[in-house]
Amino acid sequence: MTDDTTPMTDGGTDDEARTDGGPPATVPPDDETPTWSERKEHSQGLAQLTYQYFERSRREDEDLRTESTYVERDVLGFPTWPHETIRNLAITSFFLGMILLVASILPSHFGDPANPGSTPAIILPDWYLYWSFGLLKLSPINPELAVLGGNIIVSNELYGLIAHGAIFGVITLVPFLNKGNARRPVEEPGWAALGVTGVILAITLAVLAIQNFFPVPLELLFSLVFMLPVAGGVITYAVLKTMREGYMYDLNRRYYMLRPPK
Amino acid sequence: MSLKKQDDMDHNAWLKSQDLTAIETAFLTTLIWLDKRLRIVDYLELLETMYYRANLQMPKSHTEQYDLDNKFWYWYPLYSLGSLSIIAYLLAAVSGALLGFYYAPSTAGAAAQGDPTAAYDSMVMIMKDVQFGFMLRSIHRWAAQFMVAAVFLHMLRVYFTGAYKEPREVNWILGVVLIALTLLFGFSGYVLPWKQLSFWAAQIGVELALATPIIGEWAAQLLFGGFTLGQATLVRMYILHVFVLPFVVTALIAIHVGIVWVQGIAEPH
Ligand code: HEM
Repeated sequence: MTDDTTPMTDGGTDDEARTDGGPPATVPPDDETPTWSERKEHSQGLAQLTYQYFERSRREDEDLRTESTYVERDVLGFPTWPHETIRNLAITSFFLGMILLVASILPSHFGDPANPGSTPAIILPDWYLYWSFGLLKLSPINPELAVLGGNIIVSNELYGLIAHGAIFGVITLVPFLNKGNARRPVEEPGWAALGVTGVILAITLAVLAIQNFFPVPLELLFSLVFMLPVAGGVITYAVLKTMREGYMYDLNRRYYMLRPPK
Repeated sequence: MSLKKQDDMDHNAWLKSQDLTAIETAFLTTLIWLDKRLRIVDYLELLETMYYRANLQMPKSHTEQYDLDNKFWYWYPLYSLGSLSIIAYLLAAVSGALLGFYYAPSTAGAAAQGDPTAAYDSMVMIMKDVQFGFMLRSIHRWAAQFMVAAVFLHMLRVYFTGAYKEPREVNWILGVVLIALTLLFGFSGYVLPWKQLSFWAAQIGVELALATPIIGEWAAQLLFGGFTLGQATLVRMYILHVFVLPFVVTALIAIHVGIVWVQGIAEPH
């Protein structure tokens, strides 16, 4: 670092007394920069493994590229820029206008001030949380254990919480349960049916939350909450299975003409 | 030979030698003046490159390559639901920031049970006295409703087009976190006016928190500032709604969209 010929900022030459940090550190010339393989050799443990993996994946890319017969880049997705962005801007600016329009013609409701002393007959959140309130009204199916003399094991609130946890858990796991590269509902009628079941369940649970507004006996409503989603799922499955044959044939013909299976 | 330093790049002389209109002269003079100081040529070049990139013939997308467009175009609007969530979120952020000038997160001022509190009064003030205030609140509410609806539908679009499959699992999980936070956003905002329904919805929230095993009391303290609702609850919901969630959700949306940018939009096969 220190170099006798470099004058110090105060003009002194005594290196011991140097306080200005010395001359600027130099950037190594290009030929001194260690090459990839040198760096890989010098590294060890996790770093070396990382280098090894990178090399493998680079080679994999390279091989795929040379093997490919396509002139075009073999895209996996639709480019975000500019196709998607521009299309979206057009559509969303329309929606933006809709929000402003709706806001100006449908002003929001504003209720009475809070009164901790009087519970309102109907407690409701905004509509998008109805399904969640519905889950809190599942106490009739909170299992009672005969062993405990018909006592429930978990409180009704905790039961509702567990239901929330289960729903979020299942949704999170979806990508790890359904693999492969099918993209269309017709290709996987089972998963599409599950999705429809979920959507209808969210709606029926919302109805359960606002049960007071429906002149239906609670027993019946409760059965419907679970029967309708299942029915919807079954119908979806049947319809898609029926559609599948002709639809897939058409699709496959076009697809495999261009990309024959290996 | 003159002693004056020779200027190879005498732009002004070059300018004079051209036969230019007044507009062209003014434009070039300004450009040269700015460029000498800010070197804007570099940035203009960058812009130009971007312009050409954007207008270049893109590599064929999957849909084009397999001629699937005629089976695909009517799904396009569903692919804009993610962007609609962002637009509605931005609109709610702007109108919310303006509402924040007038709203007071305080339960003070109620002489008896059921009297309006400072928070409630400030909402009434916004709706009745503030110029454009009624519309402002309406926009904020509706933007929030549209955002939640768009996020729900966006999730359904992703589910039914199988867009969550490899390599997009991480984005799906991020999305689950985002939808939970969006709902929390809505819930905390619902409490702020301290209406009857706000209060009792928060009450249910506290009861749920307390029902959680082990961490229940701690969670109730953290989120609602105690086991009974009051000033502490309102301030916590307020901080959650206007400080914590905006930063967290904005950051997560940025990561979410960044990943989409890198991976491209999944197309149906
Ligand atoms: C605040 C909420 C959200 C915002 C702002 C948002 C935004 C976006 C945007 C702009 C895209 C680009 C494609 C499109 O617009 O459809 C996208 C894609 C995606 N989103 Fe979201 N999203 C949100 C919530 C969610 C949720 C709840 C999920 C699922 C649980 C999710 C999962 C995904 C996935 C997997 C992709 C990639 C899809 C593809 O490549 O086709 N997002 N998101």
